[in-house]
Amino acid sequence: MPPTPRPRGLAVLPVVLGVAFVVALAVFPKFVESPYALQMMVLFFLAVIQGEAWNLIGGYGGQYSVGHAAYFGIGAYTVIVLLQSRGIAPWWGLAPALALAVVVAAVVGSLTFRLRGPYFVLASIAVAEIFRLAALNWKDLTNGAEGILLSEIPPLVVGGVLVTDFSTKVPFYYMGLALAVVTVLVTVWFQGSKLGYYLQAIREDQDAANSLGIPLTFYKNVALMISAFFTAFAGALYGLYVGFIDPQTALGLDISVQIVLTAIIGGIGTVLGPVIGAALLVALSEALRSNLLTDALIGSGVVDASSGVGQFLRDNLSHAHMLIYGVLVALTILFMPDGVLGAIKNQVRKRRTRAAAGGAA
Amino acid sequence: MSPGPAPILEIRQVSKFFGGLAANSDVSFSMSEGMILGLIGPNGAGKTTLFNCITGYYPPSRGEILFKGERMNGLTPDQVCKRGMVRTWQKVRPLAKLSVLDNVVVGALVRTNSVPEAREIAHEQLRVVKLDHKDGFLAGGLPIGERKKLEVARVLATRPSLLLLDEVMGGLNPAESEDIIQLILEIKERGLTQMVIEHDMKAIMRISDRIVVLNSGEKLAEGAPQEVVSNPEVVTAYLGEAHV
Repeated sequence: MPPTPRPRGLAVLPVVLGVAFVVALAVFPKFVESPYALQMMVLFFLAVIQGEAWNLIGGYGGQYSVGHAAYFGIGAYTVIVLLQSRGIAPWWGLAPALALAVVVAAVVGSLTFRLRGPYFVLASIAVAEIFRLAALNWKDLTNGAEGILLSEIPPLVVGGVLVTDFSTKVPFYYMGLALAVVTVLVTVWFQGSKLGYYLQAIREDQDAANSLGIPLTFYKNVALMISAFFTAFAGALYGLYVGFIDPQTALGLDISVQIVLTAIIGGIGTVLGPVIGAALLVALSEALRSNLLTDALIGSGVVDASSGVGQFLRDNLSHAHMLIYGVLVALTILFMPDGVLGAIKNQVRKRRTRAAAGGAA
Repeated sequence: MSPGPAPILEIRQVSKFFGGLAANSDVSFSMSEGMILGLIGPNGAGKTTLFNCITGYYPPSRGEILFKGERMNGLTPDQVCKRGMVRTWQKVRPLAKLSVLDNVVVGALVRTNSVPEAREIAHEQLRVVKLDHKDGFLAGGLPIGERKKLEVARVLATRPSLLLLDEVMGGLNPAESEDIIQLILEIKERGLTQMVIEHDMKAIMRISDRIVVLNSGEKLAEGAPQEVVSNPEVVTAYLGEAHV
């Protein structure tokens, strides 16, 4: 049974479905006013942006950076510091924030991309930790461990017309949605471009890629710079949305891990993998945070609420997201190495093969 | 040698040391355009090391490599490829999770920035190696004979002027080897120069215009195929028991 050739162009059905999905998301706030629902959606969009951004260098390029918190934090800190201490509006502050992230990516890439495999991973973690420690100790600029509380975002006025005063979650919803759509489109372009081909060749076999005329470090650097750009953008949005940043929430290791997870759980090296991963992870982390999971366990009678186990879960499960993430990664890598999307595709392929075999018999 | 046109590749006293071990020492020879040079020698003679020096994977410890008159020492593999010299791997290195076509597209992209154009080149080269009917398959799923062909199609797509083939017949059955021999002769007809490492003596005798014999890193003999196999030193060092 020959495998079906994988089309690279845009098929009609996915485009129609994609547009319909985006339109539905665009009108969502008109019908749903619940701040809780909007909050979930904003977190989902932010996770999509970060997952897609990481996917370019990690999924397509196979360079598993576990230090993307550095770019996230650079985006958040630059915009917030400029706004809070210099009064520079965030839409102006965004330019230096993104530029800084891209420059840092170029420097970090040039230094660390000569390393391969686990050595590169360790170096990427170390770089992010350097930024976190710098934010922790450079108190004049970052206010150290106390973090920065944003007092207010100036209203956005274009040509005398008030666009938004940022008093609700709705403007953040649309910014998140727009940027998430852009990152997905960038990924579609990337996948069919020379850059995308070269990154995939590098992922599969660096020496072979090199012998075919691909300068490895250059192409890895370009992909990392694009990746850092969008990650920093997400960081800036996050900082403005939450209104508070400190070294742990903007530059912590768990941010890097969460970004990698989003892509791995969904399916790395695919356009939609990070979208699926983002939906699953945001839902899971909310279920943990709100003790939904514990309530479900107790409600279904699996665990007795008054027992020691029940008390323990109620007290601790909501803080155990890193532990659960760790278990998830192990399970994904063991049982679904191509992520949820890959597992679904494999199932569909198997069923088709079986159907074809059954039809032939 | 008679004063003909300048050689396309000149190896001048190339040595490569790993610590105290000389993997190549003082190797010199040259290739003229359009020829097939067979590089033979027992295991560990330094054939693949020489390939690695020529294509930029190792810098030679001493000596010089001139390609079309330009010094190659210190260039990286991608720079060597851009200048028109490209190698295959003894242990094939397919880009396993890419399709057969996309493997060749990657090679073609060194000469163009346009993916559609690279796809056209790739289709063309897959026809040359007779693998066009498998273009949608994942490269990792091909049997060894077809992987070797894919490897050749991929380097051809980089539009080289000199190909270095490292045991492209290794591990193949006689029918598959014959396919590759025909392919190498066809490539020669197109005017490409080829350096071929091969263990199969019959095959190397058939395709080579000239043969260089390496032994323990040194050049033991060089000449026309018949000359080389009748050289007593070569017989003892390399062909040994089989020809006694």
